[in-house]
Amino acid sequence: MDFALTEEQEFFKKTITDTVDRMIVPKAREIDEKDEFPWELWREFSSLGYLGLRYPEEIGGMNADPVTAMIFYEQIARGSVGFAQSVIMNILMGTYFVFRFGSDAMKERCLYPAMKGEKVGTMCFTEDQSGSDLSATRTTVRKEGNEWVINGTKMWITNGPVADMATVLATTDLALGAKGLNFFLVEKGTPGFSAGQVLDKLGCRGTVTGELVFDNVRVPEENLLGKELNRGVEYLGEILDEVRVMTGAMALGIAQAAFDEGLEYARKRVAFGKPIGTYQLIRAKFADMATEMEASRLMIYYAAWRIREKLSSRKEAAMAKMYATETCCKVVDEVTRIWGANGFAHEYNPQRHFRDARFLLYGGGTHEIIRDLLGRMIIGKV
Amino acid sequence: MNIVVLAKQVPDAEALIEITSEGRELLIEQKFAMNFFDEFALEEALRIKERHGGRVSVITMGTGKATEALRTAIAMGADAAFLLDDEAFLQGDGYSTALALSRAVSKEACDIILCGRQAVDDDRGEVGPMVAQFLGLPHVGAVLKLDIADGLAVAESAIEGATEVIEVDLPAVFTAQKGLNEPRVPMITGVMKAMKAQIPRLTPADLGLEPAQVGERGAKVTIGRYIAPSRKPPVRLIAGEPAEAAREAIRILTDVERVL
Repeated sequence: MDFALTEEQEFFKKTITDTVDRMIVPKAREIDEKDEFPWELWREFSSLGYLGLRYPEEIGGMNADPVTAMIFYEQIARGSVGFAQSVIMNILMGTYFVFRFGSDAMKERCLYPAMKGEKVGTMCFTEDQSGSDLSATRTTVRKEGNEWVINGTKMWITNGPVADMATVLATTDLALGAKGLNFFLVEKGTPGFSAGQVLDKLGCRGTVTGELVFDNVRVPEENLLGKELNRGVEYLGEILDEVRVMTGAMALGIAQAAFDEGLEYARKRVAFGKPIGTYQLIRAKFADMATEMEASRLMIYYAAWRIREKLSSRKEAAMAKMYATETCCKVVDEVTRIWGANGFAHEYNPQRHFRDARFLLYGGGTHEIIRDLLGRMIIGKV
Repeated sequence: MNIVVLAKQVPDAEALIEITSEGRELLIEQKFAMNFFDEFALEEALRIKERHGGRVSVITMGTGKATEALRTAIAMGADAAFLLDDEAFLQGDGYSTALALSRAVSKEACDIILCGRQAVDDDRGEVGPMVAQFLGLPHVGAVLKLDIADGLAVAESAIEGATEVIEVDLPAVFTAQKGLNEPRVPMITGVMKAMKAQIPRLTPADLGLEPAQVGERGAKVTIGRYIAPSRKPPVRLIAGEPAEAAREAIRILTDVERVL
């Protein structure tokens, strides 16, 4: 049993931490306040090459193992989760299916530019009546000659309003439920494909999130991202655990950002003639927060390690996502208490972390669904 | 153009430092970073290489953890890195450190030697000029601008009330001041190269030195004891009308604090 990061991973952690501190942290407040896609930072950051993090070196990626990727996700979310969501969408969900199933031409057109930040990618599952319940997907697809025709509306799409390419979940037959689902690539400019309403969110501002409309969108046969029809859910399973652990890593990043703010404040803020960090009730908060964050980090690394070792990871990934996110929600709450009334002021960062934390409760599966899944896995058939 | 950068791994600005053993030892939290001023030196070296071609080597003295500073240098674009890593190097002063570094520099011919104007941990600013002395080379301190052409360097540094422009033949030693440049953020290709890089370790023997010439035994200075700096008093508000309060502030600064 070895809990240590390798020297390489330690170095990577330090480098990405410094990069985030220099490039992203100073802009986090502005990103939140403006709530617009931060194009300038996007170009500056993507020029460093991190968007190819998970992909092989032969195609310009870094071939990062899942543990290294989690270090990256945590750090970038610590800087600004609004920015992190856009970046991670390009790194993971927004490009995975093109990488896995796309033709060479498609990769040239979509994947390689996305790895450089020249194109923005997204993945569309959620609809107004379905999210975690994929089997309720109502976006349909039908074959007409050599083309697929897609109809439906997607909601809560990260990067949706600015996306150059979308991996879209659609069903061949509403009656088949989860067994009729497939992914298709739809590129910007395809007739019938348009962005609808942009959502005004409580947190994770700066990631533009919105509606995408598919009105008789016709794409060629090769745009089916999968080897066989109706196996979409199975293909999704290939990255589901990674997506869940990644969500936990982002939660941990927010928690760490809030924790650091709380720590600085507890050391400096004086009440009754002493820094508040000298009072037992404040110390207890730090003891609990640090313990739960440490546990979250170990669960995230463990689940990522299982993914890397190709061991079953459904349970561990779900647990890591849920525990880290619940911990994050606790930490951001405690930090606003430590900051007292200042924690309620827009002038300071704790309120931003408090708002940002909420979104991760839903992304990667709601905790109600995850608890149900875990309970079912643990108890088994009775 | 062969350029050597001397870089030091120092405690991170946020690391907690405690004085222990009745002032004889410093207990430093294990958080490190490359010396702030050395980053400017490294960036300048990389820019010179980009303009004139050549090779950038970085040398650090320190324990195993100091490889991090060297990996950062490789990630930013340095071609080679060496770590002077041996028990005998520990607890040295500026003199014994500069002696060892100058020997490491002289292993290969070079045109430019760059380092920070001082290390932010001990703030002494000795090593750069001493390396120049050991190598018999000219030294220009606290450089804010550096132009290289035809074996000649034109360096600018700020002095009281003016900018000094110094022309010097190469090879020469330059120490970097804040403002010389803006250090770059490493690209992922550099990070990957750095993650895989093998960093050779050099011992006193590799430098043709006896253990007694380096580290604590080779030092000319012994540290007596450490004393904690006086704690800053809390902010003091001066009441009254602005003009009156300003007069009182000046009185405090001149008569009480004696800083004006």
